[in-house]
Amino acid sequence: MNAVRIAWRITRLNFRAQLEYRTEFLMMIAIGAVWQVSVIVFATVLLTRFTGMGGWDSSDVLLIPATRMLAHGLFVLLLGRVHGVGRYIQEGRIDAYLLRPLPVYRQVQLEYFPTNAIGDLTVAVGLMAGALGRSHLDWTTGRVSYLIAAVLGGMLLEAALFTVVACASLRYPAADYWSRWLEELLGTFGSYPLNVLPRAVGGLLTYGLPLAFVAYLPAAVLTGHGHETVVPYWLAAASPLVGLLAYLASRWLWRWALGHYTGVNG
Amino acid sequence: MALLYAWRAARVTPLGELYTPPRMTGVLLRLTVQVVLVASLWRGLYAQSGTTAGMDRGQAVTYAVLAVLASRLRELDQYAGRDSVMQHMHFGTIVYWYLRPLPPQRYHALRAVGEQLYGLAWASAGYVVCLAAGVVDPPGSAAVAAVSALSLLLGQLVLYYVMLLIDQFCFWTLRNSAAMLILVFAQNLLSGVYAPLWFFPHWFITLSSFLPFQATLSVPLSLYVGRIPLSDAGLQLGVQAGWVVALYLLTRFVWRRAARRVISQGG
Repeated sequence: MNAVRIAWRITRLNFRAQLEYRTEFLMMIAIGAVWQVSVIVFATVLLTRFTGMGGWDSSDVLLIPATRMLAHGLFVLLLGRVHGVGRYIQEGRIDAYLLRPLPVYRQVQLEYFPTNAIGDLTVAVGLMAGALGRSHLDWTTGRVSYLIAAVLGGMLLEAALFTVVACASLRYPAADYWSRWLEELLGTFGSYPLNVLPRAVGGLLTYGLPLAFVAYLPAAVLTGHGHETVVPYWLAAASPLVGLLAYLASRWLWRWALGHYTGVNG
Repeated sequence: MALLYAWRAARVTPLGELYTPPRMTGVLLRLTVQVVLVASLWRGLYAQSGTTAGMDRGQAVTYAVLAVLASRLRELDQYAGRDSVMQHMHFGTIVYWYLRPLPPQRYHALRAVGEQLYGLAWASAGYVVCLAAGVVDPPGSAAVAAVSALSLLLGQLVLYYVMLLIDQFCFWTLRNSAAMLILVFAQNLLSGVYAPLWFFPHWFITLSSFLPFQATLSVPLSLYVGRIPLSDAGLQLGVQAGWVVALYLLTRFVWRRAARRVISQGG
């Protein structure tokens, strides 16, 4: 309870700090929205020009970017500072974190308030509302609950992927470069049915880099395409659980990597 | 001696890359995976449709793969080396640019030349591999190859001046990372990095034609794949050259104004 109180107080201070530069604050909200709009633009162009993508109805396809964006927005808001670990290592800030009586991971997350998450979430909520409005599915309590679980699972899976990159950064600070690529991959290939890709490539984005579990597989289960994916139906249905397990595993890896951290100066 | 100084300034960022093996590995992995994914995506999309927006499957795949390779031309991480204009303005170290025997505008240009040549080595190697593997189509004729190469050169000059303008913007604002991200986004969207501009609505294409961004990537790639016929190349090259001259004059003016704005935070 004390930890929550401290986290809340720091977050409030961070928010006030962001308000110091009002124009920058508003533009950070805009950039969050703009980044998400770029994903929508790409998806819209593809949906308009290539109807019936991968055998999916366009209203079903829309559920994929909506789920991914909402998961991404929550990730940016709650766990996104793990992105900056490479830079904190290069600047020696991690060494200072190690001296304070607060877990390093939590200190990283409390580094600053992610203003851009406001823009991210605004666009994501709008797109989700649009996707649900256009959907022909019967949104029962079970379906809505599964969608919520899928969004949370997607958030945790994204956090797990970036935490793994952060672990690599503890050893090789330049590995931070990979996180930008990962973000680009998630934005570009996480927003439409992966069955449009060759089976081997779809398999790579499922088993190699598990971005299919963020939105594609949960959306496939919700829209009745769960049996057409490259994974068994039960695994597709368990996507939210995969996100949770991946995040727990990444936190274990983080603790191990931090235990072996020697600092950039030896 | 001037040439030696130029060489030393130009090689700073490429050397930083060469001394960071994970970054090099990352670039190689990223390029390979991105090319495979992009080629697979466009082939998959065209599997059940014919020519779309005036582009057939081969043209679309070639355009998309070349766009990935071209994105390597200017994607070095100056931020990690703390040598971006934004960081110099924030930390106050921009004053050193004005204390050296090398004018800041020349230093900035030399750094960019070094980066672009280094990026060109990556892009060229990728292009040769993709061409040999049959991922991209060869140019339609020697004339198309020559015209698209010239267009790419002009496009890189336009890109340099656009990025320079974004850097110069830092002289007027202290916290501007968001503004810069928005401008970079606009550059990517309106130059056809996310998707070929031909797939966008007509009004969007018309809007883009009044802006310099499409001259950086969309024009050279469209010339290469034959979406812009050779007969229209003269006009397109003229427009690109016009943007180069206009942006050169604008950025030269802004450099002079920027010099008056240089302050070091903390006095």
